[in-house]
Amino acid sequence: MAVDTMTSSPAVVDESVPTRFIKPGTAFSVLGLLLIVIAFAVVSTGDTTTIAFDRTLTDVEWALPTTACVAVLGAIAAAAGAWMLVGLPKRRLKLVSAVAVTAFVLGLLFWAYSQPGTVFRAESILAGALFLSLPYLFGALSGVVCERSGVINIGIEGQFLMGAFTGVLVANVTGNVYAGMVGAMIAGLLSTMLLALLATKYQVNQVVVGVILNLLALGFTSFMYDQLKKAEGLNSAFSVPTLSWGPLADIPVLGPVLFQQKIFVYIGLALVFVVWFLLYRTRWGLRTRAVGEHPAAADSMGVNVNRLRFWNVTLAGLISGFGGAWFTIANSLAFGKNMTAGLGFVALAVMIVGRWNPLGVLAGALIFGFTTQVARDLDASGGSVVPGEFLQMLPYVVTLVVVAGLIGKAKAPAADGVPYNPGDK
Amino acid sequence: MRLELKGLTKKFGSFTADDDIDLVVEPGQIHAILGENGAGKSTLMNMLYGILTPTSGEILIDEEPVSFNGPGDAIAAGIGMVHQHFKLVGPFSVADNVQLGREHTQGMGVLSAKAARNAVRQVSEEYGLKLDPDAICEELPVGVQQRVEIVKALSGPKTELLILDEPTAVLTPAEITELLQIMRNLAAAGTSILFISHKLKEVQAVADTITVIRRGKVVAELEPTASEAEMASAMVGRAVTLQVDKTPAEPGEARLEVKDLTVVSDAGVKVLDGLGLTVHSGEIVGLAGVEGNGQTELARSILGLVKPDEGHISIDGKDMHGTSPAARIAHGLGYIPEDRGRDGLVAEFSVAENLVLNQYRETPFSKRGAVNAGAVRKRAVDSIAEFDIRTQSPEEPASALSGGNQQKVIIAREFSRPRRFLVAAQPTRGVDVGATEFIHSRLIAERDTGTGVLLISSELDEIYALADRIAVIYNGRIVGEVAPDTPREVIGRLMVGGDIAAPDDAPAAPEAEAPEAPETDAPETDEEANGGDR
Repeated sequence: MAVDTMTSSPAVVDESVPTRFIKPGTAFSVLGLLLIVIAFAVVSTGDTTTIAFDRTLTDVEWALPTTACVAVLGAIAAAAGAWMLVGLPKRRLKLVSAVAVTAFVLGLLFWAYSQPGTVFRAESILAGALFLSLPYLFGALSGVVCERSGVINIGIEGQFLMGAFTGVLVANVTGNVYAGMVGAMIAGLLSTMLLALLATKYQVNQVVVGVILNLLALGFTSFMYDQLKKAEGLNSAFSVPTLSWGPLADIPVLGPVLFQQKIFVYIGLALVFVVWFLLYRTRWGLRTRAVGEHPAAADSMGVNVNRLRFWNVTLAGLISGFGGAWFTIANSLAFGKNMTAGLGFVALAVMIVGRWNPLGVLAGALIFGFTTQVARDLDASGGSVVPGEFLQMLPYVVTLVVVAGLIGKAKAPAADGVPYNPGDK
Repeated sequence: MRLELKGLTKKFGSFTADDDIDLVVEPGQIHAILGENGAGKSTLMNMLYGILTPTSGEILIDEEPVSFNGPGDAIAAGIGMVHQHFKLVGPFSVADNVQLGREHTQGMGVLSAKAARNAVRQVSEEYGLKLDPDAICEELPVGVQQRVEIVKALSGPKTELLILDEPTAVLTPAEITELLQIMRNLAAAGTSILFISHKLKEVQAVADTITVIRRGKVVAELEPTASEAEMASAMVGRAVTLQVDKTPAEPGEARLEVKDLTVVSDAGVKVLDGLGLTVHSGEIVGLAGVEGNGQTELARSILGLVKPDEGHISIDGKDMHGTSPAARIAHGLGYIPEDRGRDGLVAEFSVAENLVLNQYRETPFSKRGAVNAGAVRKRAVDSIAEFDIRTQSPEEPASALSGGNQQKVIIAREFSRPRRFLVAAQPTRGVDVGATEFIHSRLIAERDTGTGVLLISSELDEIYALADRIAVIYNGRIVGEVAPDTPREVIGRLMVGGDIAAPDDAPAAPEAEAPEAPETDAPETDEEANGGDR
């Protein structure tokens, strides 16, 4: 008896034993009940929500009774909340929360699209969502490459502006839109190189440098914009063709979303997996993560911390610069003052929501893209019950719910933003 | 490898950390470097490992002068180092930590997880250092983390000289015995070892030559036959008593009562599992146990940093449930944390500010809401003199002090205000002989004034030297409370979940052996120690 206890391990709380989760349970119950109240009190009986497959199966339309749908979704959210209040196994918590959030958001959508004249054009909206997620995706991936190595890049907004501006200018000068994209990347690279130099060699506070670089980029591009207006043919819109993958493009839903998009979409999706692979499966990635977590450990193994950081930040500029080209070239627009409108900062939020992981970043960017697209669509159709200004808040409200309810504590790389001096402990 | 240092000097501004150090390490030799904290040992090693550049002097490897521009050069030259502060990337696996900087790839910079895993297995088998290559480092016990560090140091292209910087500071007695054996094996196989320590017994047990450094200078070259007293006085520069004198305890009323304390970790493990413990006034209760059995959580729950899931804690007769650490401190709780870097000091604050961290709101340190700089400074000057804190000035940041002196700052702070009960967690970890002597005598003096003291230590020597009663913790529970004259092997068995009574046929080992040691004929009769057959 005495001896076989020597290998015993400490007691463990059984994850399958029901536990109560009062706060999220209450929140989801209230939100679910709210939906049910809306379904019966606000939505008039007879209202329908129409879902259409507008690009492939143009003649198919599903008209669903709004009251019933919203009530059912509300009941699902409320039931999830009630389960949490009664007590559910801890390992189920994430799944149940995800179901509750999804049901609540869908319920809101059904309600919002219940007005006469509004149709949920599923294919257009999903395809648009993917396209609109790109700036978040590029910005956040650039942030991941920087911050995983321990440098905070708050200047993504500025790199977007530089990329957007230079992309159009180079395309105009050379007459080649692809040269414009390369130009955007180089502009991004040059602007992060300044951050890299100041952050590693001169060990300046990285947040301050980032803010300054944003203002610098805004001032520079606005000034240049005014100058270019005086000359013809320096700030004309260029565009790239939409690539259609033949018969694949005719698959319902998948076709318009995945196989009928601009090259930016494919580069963005490929980049997610490339960055993921580089970070987790290569020597460069191992060293990058080590330098971001514990630079002294990496240094003691002969890794040159500041050189690695310098190149990581510099190369991340290629990604955010390319993301800048999305604003002009991908949208077939000429450059306009401050046209990035703060999306570079939202990209930073996406990076945190995605927990500094490229796959998480993809998920975060898609949520933002989707809510942005829905808000635009409802606003444009004009028939929404919710005012446009409120709709523009939607992406951020959803983020708050997702971050607070599902993701929980996000852990940044331990040495994020901390300059490294050889000899530090 | 034969290593020679000639006149190595390192200056930081006007401060000379190392002054004209000469040293020779012969191949296959274990060369111990003894010195107090702040004597310049770590600076010396950092120069050897290329982290710092010497101000003057030279390093010769096999008669050839070398200069290192970074640790990479030192590793390439065959030097491996185990740092006092572990250099492990917490979220990485063991294999990733070991391969960092010299990764196993399958071409094009793509990592080969299999090769990395095999390399770890190979080294760990070769030297008998058991490791799971896929374990995540931050989840491993400290002793195992150290093993990772050693495997890492040995995994260099051709490690011929191993530097061990205070390697036993965080180990359990059994782990120390094991480490010393590993060092002997390595030396026998031809690896030279530089062993930095201030633990005299270990140095005596393992070293071939001993160099003593004091205030940056070599002050003595000793043979391992030198007595502990000789070594200690060479280190400190004066005669040192290694024995703690104390009178029998006179326990009074209960100052700490812990009942059914249960704490569940984020991972769902019951790190404290219905623990009960009482400490009376005027006694020191030593809490012995292998690290990671709940000592940290117990100390943090007593202070109020961890919210218990069940159970009660009373300090000086008052239930402390739901009260803040500040309220508990005001109620007379003193706290010496086990991790001074995290819980004990604000590293960027000055020594003077750290000395009043828990009193800055009280007179005379605060006047109508403003800090009274004069009073703070006066307290600092007094404490620095009384506790012999080696600092250049009270305004120096705490981070600039050596570990032992940082510990003295904490002790000075906790001992400079009235208190009813004291938690001392690993009070002499990483602290040199002179300071240990001092801290021990202060703890005894503290007990004699009637304070109850809970001493949490992973060093049995310390528990034996100070405790009036010994409680043994295992898997978050007290598995035995014994008198201070209980033999080591009994406590050693309790520490790994065994019974108080020795098995009939098992020889009395000085320390508990590895868990798989077969002792199948153990008597099944003992009822008082519930080894915990869950």
